[in-house]
Amino acid sequence: MDETFDCIIVGGGVAGLSAAMTLARADAKFLLVERGEWSGAKNVSGGVLWGRDLARLVPDYWADDDAGFERYVAHRRLTFMDDGAAFSLDFKSDHFAETPYTGVTVLRSRFDAWLAGKVQEVVDAGAHAEDSLLATDVLVEAIVRDDAGRAVGIRASGEEFHGKVVILAEGVNNLLTRQVGLQDAYVPADHLAVGVKEVVRFPRTVLEDRFQLSGRGGMSNEFVGPGATDGVEGGAFLYTNTDSVSVGLVLGMKALRAARKTPYDLLNRFKQHPAVADALRGGEVDEYSAKVVSMGDMRVMPREIYADGLLVAGEAANLVLNAGRAIQGMDYAMRSGILAAEAAMEAVRANDTSATFLKSYRTALENSYVMQDLRGFQQAVHVLHDPAMTDAVPRMACDFGREFFTVDNRPTRKAYQILRDVRKEHMGFWDLVKLGTRAGRAL
Amino acid sequence: MADTTVPALSIAARLGTVAYRNQGRGEARAHIVVDTAICNSVCPHKCTTYVCPANCYTLDEMNQVHFQFEDCIECGTCMYACDQGAVAWSYPDPEVGRGVNWNRG
Repeated sequence: MDETFDCIIVGGGVAGLSAAMTLARADAKFLLVERGEWSGAKNVSGGVLWGRDLARLVPDYWADDDAGFERYVAHRRLTFMDDGAAFSLDFKSDHFAETPYTGVTVLRSRFDAWLAGKVQEVVDAGAHAEDSLLATDVLVEAIVRDDAGRAVGIRASGEEFHGKVVILAEGVNNLLTRQVGLQDAYVPADHLAVGVKEVVRFPRTVLEDRFQLSGRGGMSNEFVGPGATDGVEGGAFLYTNTDSVSVGLVLGMKALRAARKTPYDLLNRFKQHPAVADALRGGEVDEYSAKVVSMGDMRVMPREIYADGLLVAGEAANLVLNAGRAIQGMDYAMRSGILAAEAAMEAVRANDTSATFLKSYRTALENSYVMQDLRGFQQAVHVLHDPAMTDAVPRMACDFGREFFTVDNRPTRKAYQILRDVRKEHMGFWDLVKLGTRAGRAL
Repeated sequence: MADTTVPALSIAARLGTVAYRNQGRGEARAHIVVDTAICNSVCPHKCTTYVCPANCYTLDEMNQVHFQFEDCIECGTCMYACDQGAVAWSYPDPEVGRGVNWNRG
């Protein structure tokens, strides 16, 4: 028996499993290694997998009552917050109920395990049912390279396993990507954030009544402003699961360090905001979690995402973007995992796993929405990180709302008069024009 | 009157909701090694003591940094936030390390 795998995948999260599913469907012989006790045991996300790629991997997944997702996103809300008020853009539409859904909430411990099970089903039905493996509890110590520097396998628990191509899908803390020199050994905090989250459980009927949910429909709500993060760059989120909500903060690490605040105190503060407390009252905290998150600035990406015998996918390549519409990361992981596996298969078929050949992965990713959006929205990332976006702008929205929506039996000011005074209170005229112009172009 | 507040949770209560591996094991191997001599001499901010989401880095009454890995939830924050070179970070060994088992994630 040939002991060499066509492909070895490091990491059984969304990117790794998407690569594995693609390889399984192509009848390739692969080894996926996951350091957790099961796929998902080491994974945390805010909670929404956006887009329709899941239907490519698991067709008709929505028809399965036991599918690994929590709810599809039927209702979206973006909220600007100061300490006392919440001003929301709220959008609900029946088109969100059409399948394939364009967003599903997930809890990774369950979702990844389910997806791994789906991959195993495809493996079991294929030509490599006996020798393609999804191995858990395996920590990879090193990438094995030949004398020419080409990746030829992995070393784990002192043993070597050989593969023609190695796909690194190890997540944001990409130690192996650093080990092979594609990323600096020390990555500074500049373009990274720390996410903290609680899963808060409710009786299902309470949850559905409180958030006006029907069937498997759910809500996604993002928050920005001093009411959410106390002036620290970043934002907050609240997503509904089947019988719980995921509520948390994503805080710019450099800003948090400068502010000398703890992420968990800020999470308490957010949960006690009147608008959030109304949503969370009576819930039981099921699990607290945390994760480092890439902030969508391409400057944090590895120098390259391919090398001789090696590809990097998912958040190991820092593929995350928040351009104000949605916090996208798991969908990028999925697409990059699929494209990495396709490139690996082409290389194996051509018997050429050199960097020159594997560059086709980079090209495919560049041609996909992943890099198109990451490149197209870099300015948006910079605008959203302008301090005014987490402070002055949400304050203006709330000040405006307080007066505009208040009827107090006195002569009423016109909206433009309120806006003018609100702007004067928080921002210079030209600063607002400049920010508005930048935002208008970037978003 | 109905309670209209949401209680503030202590970090200890939060970590009480986390499931850790090899909890029964007497001694687990540390997956993060911190050179606290750096923290306690040249570091101007000692930021790990407040940015770490699991409060693994604490200050004593003499303002000295102490580190314990047992509550670590493997997020990675300290490895980036520490800009003094004091944190050597790796993943816990599945057999003899500690680390998390997320039940929700």
